[in-house]
Amino acid sequence: MFDILDMGASGLTAQRTRLDTIAENLANVYTTHNAKGEKEAFKRRFVVLGSGRADDKAKAGVHVQQIKLDPAPPIPKYEPGNPDADANGYVNYPNIDMSIEYINALEASRAYEANVTMMEVSKSMINASLRLIA
Amino acid sequence: MFERLLNQTNAPVLERMLKFTAARQKLLAENVVNISTPGYKQKDLSLEKFQGMLRERIEQRDHGGLGSTSFDDLEAQLENPQRGMLFHDGSNRSMEQLMTDQAKNALMHNFVIELLRKQFQTMEMALKDRPV
Repeated sequence: MFDILDMGASGLTAQRTRLDTIAENLANVYTTHNAKGEKEAFKRRFVVLGSGRADDKAKAGVHVQQIKLDPAPPIPKYEPGNPDADANGYVNYPNIDMSIEYINALEASRAYEANVTMMEVSKSMINASLRLIA
Repeated sequence: MFERLLNQTNAPVLERMLKFTAARQKLLAENVVNISTPGYKQKDLSLEKFQGMLRERIEQRDHGGLGSTSFDDLEAQLENPQRGMLFHDGSNRSMEQLMTDQAKNALMHNFVIELLRKQFQTMEMALKDRPV
């Protein structure tokens, strides 16, 4: 039964990674340069979850399979004075929809909470079983 | 003598029930953990079917006398319930259903534990010849 707690922990880690990714997207919603300083709009990231624990896929749980880049093209905005603008005066902004990110964040935090509740209940069940002895 | 003392009560039935609730809790937790996993199929054990199996054994024991029937081989079968809405990613998750099921399961678990405790207490009282 103690295994349930490890499984819950794998869920917490996965949902937290998902929230981290969403926070990264929101932080970079106007980023027009990449890490090397070149002109490239930030690409939206998202996690792909898979069942099975990260250290051992045979064990029940969940893990982040990979963090993928959204292939959607950047959104050009007409800003002629901007130093990042191209010859026609357009600046490429990341294709990130704030409302989608917010909804995903909400979903991730709810799933996180559900995992915590599940672990609390399982803990109380383990405690009750231990009381059989005492 | 102790073997008979333990096996002639309802303790074996309660013990099986505990194993069942523990196993079911694990599956429900696995479903919650995989709530956002695409293509994940929900797993569950059927309480109704398991109770049916238990009832059958209890009736069998009632005919054969106490201690005549073993409960040790009773095992609930893993199922993939098809209830609820199937989402586009192939998962039929329902957080509300899962949380209700796990609440009921935990209540059942604690209830069975209380019954077992009471039974052990009674036994202890008999052994010590005074209330504990």
